[in-house]
Amino acid sequence: MTSSSGAARKNLSKIACNRLQKELVEWQVNPPTGFKHKVTDNLQRWVVEVIGAPGTLYANETYQLQVDFPENYPMEAPQVIFLHPAPLHPHIYSNGHICLDILYDSWSPAMTVSSICISILSMLSSSTTKQRPEDNDRYVKNCRNGRSPKETRWWFHDDKV
Amino acid sequence: MGNEEEEEELVAEVEAVEAVYGTDCVLLSSFPPHFHLFLKPRTADVSSQQFVEAVLEIRATSQYPKEPPSIELVDCKGLDEQRQKHLLNYIQSKAREISPCLMLVALCEEAVEKLSAMNHPDGDCPLCLFPLVPEDQQSESLPFMKLMSCFHCFHSECIIRWWKWLQNSKESDSANTDSTAAHRNQDKHKKMEESVGNCPVCRKPFLAKDLDHVLALVGSYSSQLSSDNEELKDEETVLQSEDEMIRRQKFEAILNLQKENSGLIEPKKDIVILPGMYLPQPVAMPSSTPTKESDEQTQNEPPAVVSGKQAGGTSNGASSSRQRNFGPRRQKARSDNHSSSTVRNTRKPVQQWVRRDSPSNKQ
Ligand SMILES: [Zn+2]
Ligand SMILES: [Zn+2]
Repeated sequence: MTSSSGAARKNLSKIACNRLQKELVEWQVNPPTGFKHKVTDNLQRWVVEVIGAPGTLYANETYQLQVDFPENYPMEAPQVIFLHPAPLHPHIYSNGHICLDILYDSWSPAMTVSSICISILSMLSSSTTKQRPEDNDRYVKNCRNGRSPKETRWWFHDDKV
Repeated sequence: MGNEEEEEELVAEVEAVEAVYGTDCVLLSSFPPHFHLFLKPRTADVSSQQFVEAVLEIRATSQYPKEPPSIELVDCKGLDEQRQKHLLNYIQSKAREISPCLMLVALCEEAVEKLSAMNHPDGDCPLCLFPLVPEDQQSESLPFMKLMSCFHCFHSECIIRWWKWLQNSKESDSANTDSTAAHRNQDKHKKMEESVGNCPVCRKPFLAKDLDHVLALVGSYSSQLSSDNEELKDEETVLQSEDEMIRRQKFEAILNLQKENSGLIEPKKDIVILPGMYLPQPVAMPSSTPTKESDEQTQNEPPAVVSGKQAGGTSNGASSSRQRNFGPRRQKARSDNHSSSTVRNTRKPVQQWVRRDSPSNKQ
């Protein structure tokens, strides 16, 4: 087991590098609507600007997603969090962690940063209230030592239905 | 119309189609002719080499053959929209060309011909995002395969890498969560036949037999590495049990292929060994995982979360080979009913196939 912090990240594998470079090129040709990739020379950490979709609670609001890629991307999901301030949303904790199945148990290596972004925007767009998750305070307190959301055992309500 | 001779000719033509295509032709009406035709590429005798298929509906009016029949694609696999259109347009233009002569058999033959020419996957590998069949002839073409159940295609190397990854994750999951070894042994055999994973694109569960045609490839990698990779001696126990599994699966693969071809086995083009693959030492084998664990390698814990859940609804995802957008997928988070607990996620992959960069140690 590694220590809980995401700081001890390993460098991207060759395969991960090739795949990310390919994603970056495709993003530049055809970026998902409502997103802007803030170009840096760091392939392993993307910062993506999200603009709330028109006609939704988040219209015209801008947020930032931070996407960190593990050594074995895309076998392993990237870590995706909102940078401060995170949007007020029933699945988004105040520390930026996002409760969304595809980022954890339902990740598939055929998903891309672009498809993640589309999922997150649709999650934002379908929200009917601007509020934090009920267990926000407890959860955020537990994460205080810099725990990654990928180490959280998420419970997605629908799994039990 | 009313010309009896003409009508007789039409009936005879439909009979000819039925005679040529047998059960692949489903007759809905013999006058005016209306039928479904199940199309397979002519070249695909081995089903693992079949990457496309289509069901064509041909429906003539009472004006046929002065008026060409209407032609629709009812169903297809492995063809994206563009190729579907191309196929359909081609057959329709042939129909206009041949009219006012009788054309049903000729049209069907044209359709099979065209589909045969299209018998290759299209677009990019969903795992590495590089084209499956490079458009320029210069680029090196890597071997690819399809999942037998949904026709989604991947580079063999890519799907194997992912498959290995799944096996390793499951194994370390079960090593961490399940302590009743006896019980697991009992289920070992049963589980081998159950789903080993879900298609990365459509999540349709597939069985070990869906991967048979590439598992042989895994075996090649494995024997390659046990023969020329000295530094892996320590891992011998792991490799041996893995070999065991692979041997069995290889045998089943050959057996199935034999059944498929009524006893004949042809060499498969897919199975190409890429030099330079190796299995690195696991970075940190959990110390609580003794060699005994490696005996368990043959067993597949069914994934608790994924199995079955996505079985419905997405089964026809194969009609587009460019589905990388997971948009329509149900997202399983609800505002009122979700919670989290900060338990450390125990999933921890141990090994992964990587490509050796150094030119040494090949073959
Ligand atoms: Zn690939
Ligand atoms: Zn599929």
